[in-house]
Amino acid sequence: MTPDGHSELGAIVLAGGRSTRMGTPKALLDWHGAPLVRRVTGLLARVASPVVVVHAAGQELPSLPGVELVVDEHPGRGPLEGIAAGMRALRGRCDAAFVSSVDVPLLHPRFVRSVAGALNGHDVALPVADGHNHPLSAAYRISLLEVVERLLAEDRLRPAFLFDESSVRRLENGEIDEPGSLRNLNTPEDYAAALAEPEPQIEVEAFGTLRERLGFSRTTVPAATVGHAVERLDGLAELLPHTLVALNGERFHADPQTPLVAGDRLSVLTAEAGG
Amino acid sequence: MSTIGGGFGRYLRVDLDRGVAEPVSIPDGVRRAFIGGAGLGAWLLTSAETAGEPVAFVFSPLVGTPLTTSAKFAVVARSPLTGLLNDALASSHFALQGKMTGHDAIVLVGTAPEPSVVVIDADGTSLEPAGDLWGLPAAEAEQRLRDRLGKGYRAAAIGPAGEALVPFATVSHDGRHAGRGGHGAVLGSKNVKAVAVRGRMRVPLADPDRVMELAADLRTRSFGPATEKYRELGTLANLLAFNALNTLPTRNFQAASFEDAAALSAEQAADLKQRTRHYCASCTIGCGHIYEAGNGNGARLEYENAFALGPLCGVGDPAAVIEASRRCDELGIDTISAGGTIAFAMECAERGLLDAPWLRFGSGEALLRALDEIGSGEGIGPLLRMGSRRLAQQLGGDAPSFAPHVKGMELPGYEPRTLQSMAVGLAVNARGADHNRSGAYEADFSQRVDRLHGGSASVAAAIDTEDNAALIDSMILCKFLRGVFTDARIEWATLLNAVTGCNYDAEELGEVAERIVTTKKLFNVSHGWTPDTDTLPDRFLDEPLETAAGTTVTLPRERLAAMVREYNLRRGWDEQGYPQVEAKDLVPA
Repeated sequence: MTPDGHSELGAIVLAGGRSTRMGTPKALLDWHGAPLVRRVTGLLARVASPVVVVHAAGQELPSLPGVELVVDEHPGRGPLEGIAAGMRALRGRCDAAFVSSVDVPLLHPRFVRSVAGALNGHDVALPVADGHNHPLSAAYRISLLEVVERLLAEDRLRPAFLFDESSVRRLENGEIDEPGSLRNLNTPEDYAAALAEPEPQIEVEAFGTLRERLGFSRTTVPAATVGHAVERLDGLAELLPHTLVALNGERFHADPQTPLVAGDRLSVLTAEAGG
Repeated sequence: MSTIGGGFGRYLRVDLDRGVAEPVSIPDGVRRAFIGGAGLGAWLLTSAETAGEPVAFVFSPLVGTPLTTSAKFAVVARSPLTGLLNDALASSHFALQGKMTGHDAIVLVGTAPEPSVVVIDADGTSLEPAGDLWGLPAAEAEQRLRDRLGKGYRAAAIGPAGEALVPFATVSHDGRHAGRGGHGAVLGSKNVKAVAVRGRMRVPLADPDRVMELAADLRTRSFGPATEKYRELGTLANLLAFNALNTLPTRNFQAASFEDAAALSAEQAADLKQRTRHYCASCTIGCGHIYEAGNGNGARLEYENAFALGPLCGVGDPAAVIEASRRCDELGIDTISAGGTIAFAMECAERGLLDAPWLRFGSGEALLRALDEIGSGEGIGPLLRMGSRRLAQQLGGDAPSFAPHVKGMELPGYEPRTLQSMAVGLAVNARGADHNRSGAYEADFSQRVDRLHGGSASVAAAIDTEDNAALIDSMILCKFLRGVFTDARIEWATLLNAVTGCNYDAEELGEVAERIVTTKKLFNVSHGWTPDTDTLPDRFLDEPLETAAGTTVTLPRERLAAMVREYNLRRGWDEQGYPQVEAKDLVPA
């Protein structure tokens, strides 16, 4: 991000879909300790800023720290309307946006980084799996907004129309990191299968006096959220709030719904940092 | 007669030129407005009666009470390292005995005609020859003075570096140092080897029963989880955690994590080499951890000396770092400035800017030789004695861009690019780059700010922690207690009220803090401060930091400048940082 707040990559999460086949709002489905919309926005925030959630008017959403909310004024007209609403919010603030659906519990920040990294002069970086485009796991230049708005005015609502009029870099499975990120949930059966997936293994390192208190210096726990990691480390919950939990050596996270992915490292240390 | 408890309403002005001393009254309004310690010291240095390059040993209302960690004093003078106002604190029996001489401060002005010891006791003040002590380490000089004067005396002394006017020499007592900013050189320039005190006065308390009650409560809380880190491992516990967080300055701030951090960590050192723990006078925490130097000598190892003499110089051998700490103590030099200057010189030598092929990052032998040359003044000692700012000016080229200082004071062990609230605090603080006057890292180590991008929340944190430091350094309590307070300013007002009877509330303490910060700034404005010095070295603003986690962190020049501007405006100063008041307006009628 530049000093004036301009960033290379923002993110747009389309959360306002009708979830017809699922039968219940997908944004609120829990996946191992956090609603999907919390999980997806939290993971995107690691690699993109700002993160915008486009939702339907009146739609119930959980607390989403640091996330901007935008109403889709034309619900029911497909993803291009949501993309346009998100791009309007991001215009002038970033060069490109990763657009994501809300139903991707296995999303990994490395996947987002590799897709966005493939833009490289193109208008769209579009993952393709088994012959299918994945327009809601793709990166778009914000400069496409004019084209998107024209297509909407012409009632040409499918993303394929946008791809016809832009420079698209198609990404096959082997070209992107963490392709499992593409797995989305449309039916209760899909959701049940995703819930049956194990939580990611998280490496945890304790420092200082906490090593003795917690009985380890390094360990691993299965945890999809910081909250689950804390619960599964015997004795840690009682030591809060004199304890800090840092994710990957960067930010501190007290929100138990902060999402975790495979390869993450948590550092647990005493809160008193002085010296 | 003063109506405020916790002190005597006067300071002792010692004229070294004439060898005379006289008490000078301190108006109650001043004591209420500045409390004591660093605050009262700032006022004393702007007072007309203290002309003559004063150095003030300032006590505080809580000294001499049973409140834990209160046996502290502030040494306040113009720093030879920065040319600006400097206050350095230490904890020891010197604070207790000094205050019990019946003075709220001892101010030395002028220069003694020969090496001397200032002796202050119930019989008065005298200058005694110190020729036999000249050249001795401070601890040895202290011991000889106690042998000579009697056990009741306590002395704050300088080591050989102070005598040699090294601008980062310390004043020490009981092995504790008023360490930063070179007050040892100030005393050396006055021909003062030591100040020895013995007092018999009792500290008047506004509400003695309430003080006892509060002291018992504070003592109990001082045994709790908020101080566990300091008790069990000491501040050295920071090292390994900071390494994991990419905030451990390494090889003159070229990296923020160190491959040999584990070898220097408290977690490992505690098992291997710890000899004993040390408690300051009147302290129930006991944060001092003494380690074996390998030659029968022990040395205190804290985070700041371990970072500065270890990772900052690329040295991962604990024996070398412990021995380097011991030699710094013996010479009487600030470990942060010593390590910072040597690390800078190592980089200069590696870049061919300094002709010292033996001086290389990672060499414990080179580190110890550099310290010895600072002590002896031989070899490159005269260059290292300058500190990093003046050395960079002398070497020229691009050396100033990576000299690790703000306003001449070497940076402490907090990487500013990954702690961007702290970056603001380091840039703006009156005494230069220092972690004890600006504790904004506290906010960085929390969810309250974005430590990698700064912003308004970081500015607010810089102000809040600077104000809290001004208060706690004026009361005075140890900062390691701060975690036990749930609503600090309300609780601090309660403590002060029981001792002084002043009826402070949190709001008034906020005003006191602002007054102290502004008084320091006004002193600096009249002693050469310019707005362009409220920044960080170019390295932090121009060079991205690659972290061990594989991310790149930057602190763009414009971002820091914007935060400094916001800091100034929030302080009520103009956007460049000039206060819009005069010192005389800051003391209530």
